Amino acid sequence: MASALKKLSPPLPSQEPDEFDTLYRDHVDLIYRYAHRLCGETESAKDLVQETFLNAYRGLKNFRGEARLSTWLYTIASRACLRMRRKRKGEPEYELSLDELVPTSEGEFRLQIPVDELTPEEALQNKELRQALDQAIDALPKKYRMVLVLRDMEGLQAKEVGTIMGLNERAVKSRLHRARLFVRRELSARGIIDENDHKSGGLRS
Amino acid sequence: MTKKKSATTKKKQANPSSRHRPGQIHCLKLLRQLSAYIDGELPSDICQEIRSHLGDCPNCEVFILSLQQTVILCRHRPVPPLKSADRVALRRAILKKAIAK
Ligand SMILES: [Zn+2]
Repeated sequence: MASALKKLSPPLPSQEPDEFDTLYRDHVDLIYRYAHRLCGETESAKDLVQETFLNAYRGLKNFRGEARLSTWLYTIASRACLRMRRKRKGEPEYELSLDELVPTSEGEFRLQIPVDELTPEEALQNKELRQALDQAIDALPKKYRMVLVLRDMEGLQAKEVGTIMGLNERAVKSRLHRARLFVRRELSARGIIDENDHKSGGLRS
Repeated sequence: MTKKKSATTKKKQANPSSRHRPGQIHCLKLLRQLSAYIDGELPSDICQEIRSHLGDCPNCEVFILSLQQTVILCRHRPVPPLKSADRVALRRAILKKAIAK
């Protein structure tokens, strides 16, 4: 089996294929997860993984180990993601202003789908909530989404996020706050339930 | 999902104007710092100020809860794993491209 696979593999160039394979094996799941969280769907995530490891392959010989490998890969992936065109039209990159993210009326303060008595896993069983969350994250301008994903989903420290994105910690925290406020607003004010299908808004499923 | 039931005794404020008396942190100023507060990055005197404001201002209390819930939902947002077939196919595609150039 091993030799059969070998025959199928393309001939490798002189530069340390083992090193690449180790890098790939150890980090592909991490980068795929990151890519999927950024892109929100499988095909783009796979494209991003491919682009990331292709760039990593080319840059591996110059990697000096000043950063952790994972930080380095996150950086490559983030840059590649910023270069990637959105397939959907539109999506200008805009800044989020704090003033727009602060609620103005009673109803906007709380989340539309009550999650109070639930564990997060239980809450996310609710398809509408999960969809709303996905849409909210997808609607974020990329550079905000990236900070939110790295910090709140990948669980990195603000300093490491700064290294990856070329920002100081202050800027990271400011973007993170805006990104969170944006998602919060999307889960509250916009209303998760389509106005056409009135389920009376309560839904305790 | 309730992070911590605020132990602060909720005095239902009859007089809303008393919320913003001088020396007390203003709602908007508080909202700007909420992520830092949630992430435990603020000095204790500011935290104290914020806690006492929250006890006093139902809107901010509800707001911070909704923000905390948002962060928790983000942290738990499910993500599908990479399929083994895709892992193999991707590796192959990457190496093929790497060698082609
Ligand atoms: Zn307030």
